[in-house]
Amino acid sequence: MSRYLVLYLHCLRFSFSRAMEFRVDFFFRVGMDVLWYAVHLVFFWAIYQHAPLLGGWDFDQALVFAAGLFVADAVHMTLFSNNAWMFPLLVNRGDLDYYLVRPVSSLFFLSLREFAANSFLNLVIAVGVLAWALARYPGPLEATAVSVYVALLLLGCFITYCLHFLFMVPVFWMHNAAGLRDTFYGLNRFTARPDAIYTGWVRRVLTTLLPYAILVSFPTRALFESDVGAIAGHMGLVAAALFALLLVAWRRGLRAYSSASS
Amino acid sequence: MSPGLFLHVATMEARRRMSYRVDFWINAIAGFGAEFALVWFLWKAMFAMSGTEAIGGYTFDQMLVYYVVVILVAKVVRGVEFEGQASEDIYQGGLNRYLVLPGSYFGFKYAQSIGSLLPALVQAVLFGGLWLVLSGRTGFEGVTPATVAMAIPAIVLANLLHYLFVWTLHVIAFWADNVWSLLVAWRHAAALLGGAMIPLTLFPTGMQSTLEWLPFRALFALPVETLLGRVTFEAWVDGMLVGCAWLVVAALLARAVWRRGCLQYSGIGI
Repeated sequence: MSRYLVLYLHCLRFSFSRAMEFRVDFFFRVGMDVLWYAVHLVFFWAIYQHAPLLGGWDFDQALVFAAGLFVADAVHMTLFSNNAWMFPLLVNRGDLDYYLVRPVSSLFFLSLREFAANSFLNLVIAVGVLAWALARYPGPLEATAVSVYVALLLLGCFITYCLHFLFMVPVFWMHNAAGLRDTFYGLNRFTARPDAIYTGWVRRVLTTLLPYAILVSFPTRALFESDVGAIAGHMGLVAAALFALLLVAWRRGLRAYSSASS
Repeated sequence: MSPGLFLHVATMEARRRMSYRVDFWINAIAGFGAEFALVWFLWKAMFAMSGTEAIGGYTFDQMLVYYVVVILVAKVVRGVEFEGQASEDIYQGGLNRYLVLPGSYFGFKYAQSIGSLLPALVQAVLFGGLWLVLSGRTGFEGVTPATVAMAIPAIVLANLLHYLFVWTLHVIAFWADNVWSLLVAWRHAAALLGGAMIPLTLFPTGMQSTLEWLPFRALFALPVETLLGRVTFEAWVDGMLVGCAWLVVAALLARAVWRRGCLQYSGIGI
């Protein structure tokens, strides 16, 4: 375990030094995400001009939800997104070989080797927005409830990671991952709205098979509603199932990997 | 660039884009399906909560039609924003071969961009037609041959205006190491302020008046509202004039940035 920690610290060091070589890009990325936050906040503000509640939440609760979304997105962008983006290129160019021969888990290394230092600053900003949204919330919020919320939000980030890589792993067979990547990001839009607006079979799919609706909404529900045990249990089960599926798909994918570029 | 060459480049690009059929269908069905499902659930919940017949001047059916049209029109207006654009040629030094050719680089890239619209046009016809049949024309009552005739130049203007702004952002690659973030930022801002995310009538009145003078409305809201017959002829002319004025601004800006960038282009890539 300590070997993996040391390895990850090295990855962090290299990522930061690389990010600081491209300073303009560093600040462009920060600006991009700040604008994305602003767009979401204005969207919710405009929506709540016409309805008092959305998915059972008032504007103050929707702000906490939106801020949670920013944090979850920033965590994903910082830790996993670049790695998932690069993965199909490594497979298609045959560059995966360099990672497979190393004496560490290939999934660990390929999932975490690049730390997006520029997105890390966004994570700091997103946490600030979340702190502001929680502080301005007019109702009582207990420290325990907030801790559970944060823990579930992080679990949601882990589920996002599993989903993203599950969408990328078929590149071992398909070779062109552009469609799958677009599908992942297309479906990821479901994360950005309260889960209670989804009904029927779509809701069942979005909370189990393609659990986009639970990533940020469920932690927020755990914060404002009473059924925390069921919410945490649901998220835990989904996370375990997806991670198990990812491990199986990864192993099968490696077996199918020919090492020849395409 | 001669019209014949422009057409040839556009045709070649259209063929190339249609050759990835699996990607096309995944992108078409999952992309449109997800986007529309999201809108449907959002507005169903909104109308249920608001307790009113209309929000921002739209009934539920009209709102759905607005989104079907805006999703499809936005694909045609945006085209391919990231892949195969000027920034890639600047980073990889591939711009060199275009600079020595006896033709306009901008013209060549715009022809490619027009060609890359074919999948979006196919999707627009496919999903738009399907929706028209399934909905029994509900929400399309305002669409007439005249609104279609007015919407076509509005879409052409929107596409060119969008391309010029995106072109300018790509050309910043002469100075910046990565312009991807700028393009994404532009996409977010244009979607919200241009009416692709929500109809502009949902914003407070004062804000709507300001938005009429910005370039974003000409990108999405103007073509869509025109097509759906929600804009009078006078308002359409005003909108088109504002769009044309921004087109001139965008063209001058693009030209200035391109010229300055070329002066310091080394041609070796990064």
